[in-house]
Amino acid sequence: MSQANTRPKPFLLPDYCKGCGRCVHVCVQGCISFTQEINPLTGMVPVTLDLAKCTGCGLCIEACPEPYGLKAMEAGESFELQDPATLFGARRSTAPEPVDIPGRVIPMPSSEPLVIKGTYAAALGALMAGCRHVFGYPITPSTEGAELMAKLLPKMDGFYLQAVSEVATVYHMYGCGGAGLPSLTFTSSPGLSLMLEGISYMIAAELPGVFIDIMRGGPGLGNIGPDQGDVKLACRGLGHGNTHAITLMPSTPQEMLDLTYLAFELSFKYRNPVMVMADGYLGQMTGKVKLPDHMVEPGLPAWGVYGDLNHRGNLNSSVFLDEATMETRNLKLFDKYEQMKSEARAECFQAEDAEILLVACNTPSRASKGAAQKLREQGARVGLFRPITIWPFPIEQLLPLLPRLKQIVVVEASKNQIEDELRLALSHAGITDPPPITHVQRYGGILPKENEVVAHVQNLLGRA
Amino acid sequence: MSDAFYGTFDRHNEGKGLKGHTTHYCAGCGHGLAHKYLAEAIDELGIQDQTVTVNPVGCAAFLHFYLDTGHSSTAHGRAAATAVGHKVANPDAMVVCYQGDGDLAAIGLAETIATAQLGLPITVLFINNAIYGMTGGQMAPTTLMGQITTTSPDGRDRLTGGPIRMAELIAQLDGPVYVERVALFSPAERKKAKRAIKKALLMQKERRGYAFVEVLAECPTHFKTTPEKAMEWVKEQMVPIYPLGVKKDANFEPWFEMPKPTFDPATFLKAVGASSEKPAGFCKGFPTHIHATDISLKLAGSGGDGAQTVAMLIAKAAINEGFDGTHIPAYGPESRGGTSYADVHVALEEVHNPASPNPDIFVAFNAPSLAKFGHTVRPGGTIIYDSAVAKDVKPVDPTVRVVGVPFTDIAAGLGKMVVKNIVALGALQAATEIFPQETLLATLRDTLKEKAALIPLNEKAFAMGAEAAREAMKK
Ligand code: SF4
Ligand code: SF4
Ligand code: SF4
Repeated sequence: MSQANTRPKPFLLPDYCKGCGRCVHVCVQGCISFTQEINPLTGMVPVTLDLAKCTGCGLCIEACPEPYGLKAMEAGESFELQDPATLFGARRSTAPEPVDIPGRVIPMPSSEPLVIKGTYAAALGALMAGCRHVFGYPITPSTEGAELMAKLLPKMDGFYLQAVSEVATVYHMYGCGGAGLPSLTFTSSPGLSLMLEGISYMIAAELPGVFIDIMRGGPGLGNIGPDQGDVKLACRGLGHGNTHAITLMPSTPQEMLDLTYLAFELSFKYRNPVMVMADGYLGQMTGKVKLPDHMVEPGLPAWGVYGDLNHRGNLNSSVFLDEATMETRNLKLFDKYEQMKSEARAECFQAEDAEILLVACNTPSRASKGAAQKLREQGARVGLFRPITIWPFPIEQLLPLLPRLKQIVVVEASKNQIEDELRLALSHAGITDPPPITHVQRYGGILPKENEVVAHVQNLLGRA
Repeated sequence: MSDAFYGTFDRHNEGKGLKGHTTHYCAGCGHGLAHKYLAEAIDELGIQDQTVTVNPVGCAAFLHFYLDTGHSSTAHGRAAATAVGHKVANPDAMVVCYQGDGDLAAIGLAETIATAQLGLPITVLFINNAIYGMTGGQMAPTTLMGQITTTSPDGRDRLTGGPIRMAELIAQLDGPVYVERVALFSPAERKKAKRAIKKALLMQKERRGYAFVEVLAECPTHFKTTPEKAMEWVKEQMVPIYPLGVKKDANFEPWFEMPKPTFDPATFLKAVGASSEKPAGFCKGFPTHIHATDISLKLAGSGGDGAQTVAMLIAKAAINEGFDGTHIPAYGPESRGGTSYADVHVALEEVHNPASPNPDIFVAFNAPSLAKFGHTVRPGGTIIYDSAVAKDVKPVDPTVRVVGVPFTDIAAGLGKMVVKNIVALGALQAATEIFPQETLLATLRDTLKEKAALIPLNEKAFAMGAEAAREAMKK
């Protein structure tokens, strides 16, 4: 602090004064007064200073709300110096250009397969992908995943936080993902509905995060039976605005692990949330799960708002008031969505020579596999096309099968949600005359059964 | 002028012209002062590099125009939740939540309270100006009684609720270390405001906990008055409702610490119970006498019968033998009290459909289960049921073998009802020879390795179940 007799007096560039008068009222010496003159540059009416009686008490400076308003004039500065660049320095910021800190792939010793349920497998996939931050709100039938994480994370010096709601959960992920670290949540349908706002924000701010949705019967509170009624949310309704996210549809506990692992990779590659959608059956299903031969120690991306010097200049934001800027932002996202299409994946089972193609995801794809096999035994040429990504829909993988097909049968536990993705994809691919599409559907927490698929196809064949 | 401000406000209209050095706030707005004191405190504590501000929705949504720190702009009401994400991602970050009254005390109330009670060291600046500024002067949760706003045109009244006192509310929670309400209308109050903001940051820096500073701020625009009158209004109208001062100042020792995550394969494998040891195999081949490639089983009983445990043991045994195995429990309400059933598959290569609508083998622990699923067993299949509790078994397909074993009586004889399911497993083994005894016993021992004292009893139960099944089949 300066000595009393050398205390600096205030200085003001009138252009930076809004004339609020906060300074006027505190000066007992009456050095500062309102004027009537409108500053032509700002349209404001700045105050004027007459420092003859000024004691340098500093109260006016403390009262000024403008960062570049009243400032203390240090020794050597002069009133005449009016060039802000000289006065305040030309720097915008002294923060360095942020750099990427790369992650590390760590080889794993080989181990015997585990026998675990789907939600557990997904949890292990996340841990192996380097995720050490999990947030969630308990909701059946996804809770086991969160419970396992709460048990395992402390052993790996990670952190599980039970949030106050699904709404809070997704913003914990916004913060953690925004810092540049992998994060995960387990939820189930009503929980996903609550998270949609935040997912839209994450997409807009280009933040990674993996959402595992164990779908249950709806709408409303519905029940906890297995369902696929969230497919339209993941594919067409991730909150407001033009949003998309890669949506993975596992069908076995092994895939729960593999696709969750993949989800993290994709989430950081595209700086976008990734959805892993399973039905309640798959979440509970126990099966053989082989661990990958490596795990990941994540790095720290250049764009993260981590809270250190390297990342000080960064900003995560979804607010772009200027419409043109927001449109540019949208175009950037669309470009990314286009690139994501290269991630489309599908499994074909006995599909090469199929005349009837079942299309199904998650557990219904396994019932369909069983049905395809039974029908083959009866001499029908039935195959299965299983989208592993429902968005982007693996249309390129489907197109070569089309010429041979007489019928497509979509097997799903929702009202046309998977079928609509198929129809949209066909339409966008310019297929105007696809084979007839029929379906086997169950609703409300019930999955289509193998014998229902068999009966449906037998019926088609009888008619044909 | 504080170093924590950008040299030019490039994000404010690209820093062009006057906007490069002035804020977007109205003349006399309290936000500017709060920004300034925050910036000065950041300077004085030397924490600029670590600071991450979580920016709200409201007039201060553009905090990132001004402060030269990391910024995370979030949704309306979600600043506290976002801040927690940043803090646990980097415990060394200095996370500042900057929120208005609509954001913190209305739409974000749940997150506000939960985060305060969580108590992680986070600094919250709550700008209370009794109005929604950005959206154009609507009623806020902190709007005073009688105050006219665009959504309380006749003045706030009893039916629209009363002003909420956040500082007092937060102070009565256990989580926060420090809570104070300050104002900006006089040199003395501004001095306290600055001091409070610095202290709130210090509490975080010293890892003592969550700190909350409520700032009574002027919004001259929506008070529809001059900046001077706005200050008077805060002093005369707001302060009586929102008394200034320290609301909580606890003496928390520095406590906050989070370990650095580990990525050590050995730690991971141990935590998940993975082993590199190949389990011993006892099977000579796939049990093709039941099905060529894929055997389906169903086990059903009531909640406490242990059907799921046995189902799991069979799936595990299959995988230990190098086959594929799956187990789907019926879960949720249907597994509480009522029927609990499990579908199991054992496949040579891959289980296609893990459901068992027409099982090869069905184990029933009670009469209702037998009645429910007995007829679904495929021709030539096997039913094993508890003959101690299910009498008068209805005839099923004549090709289906039905083996009654008194699981309950045998378990009761052993003095432990819980081994009823292992009796059933023994019976299943003897009746179907799905796997050699040793396969199932090895899996059983492995599952019980943490409770080794129980192994002999379980082995006994298994053997007695098997013996009883052989007896029953002789008849
Ligand atoms: S420093 Fe004190 S005396 Fe000088 S102008 Fe400011 S308030 Fe008046
Ligand atoms: S306090 Fe600052 S902005 Fe307000 S009148 Fe004084 S110099 Fe101008
Ligand atoms: S509307 Fe009110 S709170 Fe918003 S900038 Fe203007 S004075 Fe400040």
